[in-house]
Amino acid sequence: MVSLSFPFHIAELEVGQHLYWQIGHLNLHGQVFISSWVVIGALLTLIVLGTRKMERDPKGVQNLLEFLWDYIRDLAREQIGEKAYRDWLPFIGTLFLFIFVCNWGGALVPWKLVKLPSGELGAPTADINTTVAMALLVSLSYFYAGLSRKGLRYFEYYVEPTPIMLPFKIIEDFTKPLSLSFRLFGNILADELVVGVLAFLVPVIVPLPAMFLGLFTSAIQALIFATLAANYIGEAVHEEHH
Amino acid sequence: MTIYHFPLLGTEGTFGLNLNPFDTNLVNLTIVIGVMFWFLKGFLGEMLERRRQVILSSLSDAEANLKNATIALEKAQTDLAEAQQRAERIRADGKLRAEAIRKESEHRTIDAMASLKEDALADLNAEMARISEQLRLQTAVQAIEKAMATLPSKLDSKAHAQLIDQSIANLE
Repeated sequence: MVSLSFPFHIAELEVGQHLYWQIGHLNLHGQVFISSWVVIGALLTLIVLGTRKMERDPKGVQNLLEFLWDYIRDLAREQIGEKAYRDWLPFIGTLFLFIFVCNWGGALVPWKLVKLPSGELGAPTADINTTVAMALLVSLSYFYAGLSRKGLRYFEYYVEPTPIMLPFKIIEDFTKPLSLSFRLFGNILADELVVGVLAFLVPVIVPLPAMFLGLFTSAIQALIFATLAANYIGEAVHEEHH
Repeated sequence: MTIYHFPLLGTEGTFGLNLNPFDTNLVNLTIVIGVMFWFLKGFLGEMLERRRQVILSSLSDAEANLKNATIALEKAQTDLAEAQQRAERIRADGKLRAEAIRKESEHRTIDAMASLKEDALADLNAEMARISEQLRLQTAVQAIEKAMATLPSKLDSKAHAQLIDQSIANLE
């Protein structure tokens, strides 16, 4: 923990401090839970408000929600294919929206207004546990998708073009969740750190380009996570045309 | 032994409010949020408005099409009813005419058959008359020949003179 002995207190920068909640033998990162609940609450509020009085003429929030739905549906349909995308549309949509609002919420909401006993609030996706959990869910879901659709024939996928690909495909089953989780975690945490360091050095104006870049890349990371998840599911349910 | 341990009770630190604008990055955040609002209202707002307009126009197009299609359907239905009536009339007329033609041809056939029969009868009668005439002629000729054959045997000078006197008496 770095603290500078300046006469006035400008900013502190520390990584790895968490607000620990203990349940049984487990320590939970309380700050991640709190910010996740805020994000979930915001998403649910948006959707409930937007779908309260649906009219044929889409106005305001309803228009935005319909646009988002169209976008997510096109994404899922393109990656998974016409036959199976409907089953996975809620999952992909949840991934996309949750990660997107987490990232942008982490970047835009003044979390530090709330002082916690230990650690600080931030983007939930800046914690490796969140991203690993989502990546493992994706892994689970593409296995489930393949097995439920094709039965044990799903394992033909491992020797699909040639049997030489077998070791690579097995390694892929480990690298896919690894890369998904670390890509997202790294991007978000790095952006938080960069903005934090710049704000630590020069409090105003200078962090701004980094903040805008962070908004841009975090939006893209949300899209990439959702697209890759849909792609893995699409690969698993893909019927080979012989 | 505490199972649930939430530091809400302020055992380690406290929850609180930090209002230092530099510490909380509030200055930059307000700028960023302001720019995002302005940018999104422009870009996203335009896109959403365009989407809404496309939806509204395609809805109104669909309604106009529906209206036109209903009108065309009604018109087509009245035309169909009219055409059906006309077809009905033509069919009835045709039937009557066919009936009349049939009757006429029946009569003509009957007449022709009757005249044919008459002709045949007439021919038959003529033929009969001719044949009976011929037969009579033949029998007459035969009778005369027979008489001529037996005449010389039956006719001697006395009978002959009697016959001549009788004939003269007939002549007078």
